[in-house]
Amino acid sequence: MIEADINALIEGILRSDRRSIARAISYAEGANREIKKEMLALLYNHTGRSQVVGITGPPGIGKSTLIGNVASLMSDMGYNVAILAIDASSPYTGGSLLGNRIRMQEALNEKKIFMRSLANRGARGGLSESSIGSTAILDAAGFDIVFVETVGAGQADLDVMDLADTTILVLGPGLGDQVQAIKAGIMEIADLFVINKMDRDDSYFAMKDIEDTLAMDDARPFTRKVVGTTVKDMESYRGLIDLIKLHGEYLKESGKIGEKRFRMGIQWMIEDELRNRIIEPIMSKIPANSRNKNYYSIIESIGEFFSETMQEIKEDKII
Amino acid sequence: MVDGKNQSLFKEKPIKILLAKPGIDGHDRGVFVLAKAFRDAGMEVLYAGLLPTPEEVVDTAVNEDVDVVALSLLNGAHMTVFKKVADLMRERNIDDIALVGGGTIPDEDKPALESMGITGNYGPGTPLAVIIDHVTSRATESRLRKLR
Repeated sequence: MIEADINALIEGILRSDRRSIARAISYAEGANREIKKEMLALLYNHTGRSQVVGITGPPGIGKSTLIGNVASLMSDMGYNVAILAIDASSPYTGGSLLGNRIRMQEALNEKKIFMRSLANRGARGGLSESSIGSTAILDAAGFDIVFVETVGAGQADLDVMDLADTTILVLGPGLGDQVQAIKAGIMEIADLFVINKMDRDDSYFAMKDIEDTLAMDDARPFTRKVVGTTVKDMESYRGLIDLIKLHGEYLKESGKIGEKRFRMGIQWMIEDELRNRIIEPIMSKIPANSRNKNYYSIIESIGEFFSETMQEIKEDKII
Repeated sequence: MVDGKNQSLFKEKPIKILLAKPGIDGHDRGVFVLAKAFRDAGMEVLYAGLLPTPEEVVDTAVNEDVDVVALSLLNGAHMTVFKKVADLMRERNIDDIALVGGGTIPDEDKPALESMGITGNYGPGTPLAVIIDHVTSRATESRLRKLR
């Protein structure tokens, strides 16, 4: 791809042209590192305007449905909304069933909301590698709100906290008691909590457990809050939207919008370079049938491999 | 398929396919069987849900930047609805997304669908491997066009 094409693509993204955005996300997902880096390097200057709202929580709790309904209502209120939803890839075949879209298709069709499904391609932590670049693209395209839905997440899937300006943890009835609610990890990273499926039995116990936990919070610049939602009452989503707006105002006042994302973008570039220039060249020096070799001797020679690789980089033999 | 060459085309970015039943047809058991088969063949699979309009199918295909849209109908309306999807794609100058078809499609309709660029058009009982091979070869064409 020649430079003129990248410039045309960037110009399209800044105009918020759907096809340019869609193709750019494909490049962010793709294998061509040069295009990816060039494109994102040019785009990052235009980011930092969207409120990126990360939605995380266990599988089947209703994240996609919730996003569909909230996005639809916010779109009616005049917000320009985009959605990124990440689903799991198979560790065996690399295939994926990107099922998030199904839950929000109706809202997407009616309101012409831009939504993109991403497979996590084996990434841990609840996001995909491509979600970093893709969020930057949507931010640069001028969306007011970008929802990022994580893969159904567990207690240690915390990456969304670095990508999102506002992190929302969706929980429901029957997921655990007060001890679960004060555990470290995912319970700590949320700015807002949602108890979904409020129409079900026990949902008020879930609500109370979170309220008790939040009451124990140390003083924070933004006081964390919890809200209940259910698909049976569309009005229940308004409470959540008010909180998203409240957190958005807090971010604007504190000047923190996009700060973490910018760092994450830089960190991703560094990790990408490290992987390609150092980790992979070193890995390639490890003998193929290493199972038959002495583990200790391989580990011992890693220092040598490292020095060799650094020498090759110095002599410009790698990249 | 050329050994190795085509594989590397999809190695880091698997084939992305959208399954859709545009129009009035709620029989989606077959689509779920295919979705699982494509997933197991290493593809990233989307399903457009029940009763999307042709416009919604094309919008979804564009936003998701898929390689292939697989259309299915069991209600006999393929000559109108499939055609509408193909027409919309042409109107919007989309030539890097391939269309394939399937369902209860009589043999005599197949040449007309082929001429619209909708290939495959497999009926019930077709081995999954045949469908997967066909989708892979159409996806290869799209992917090469996307890389222009």
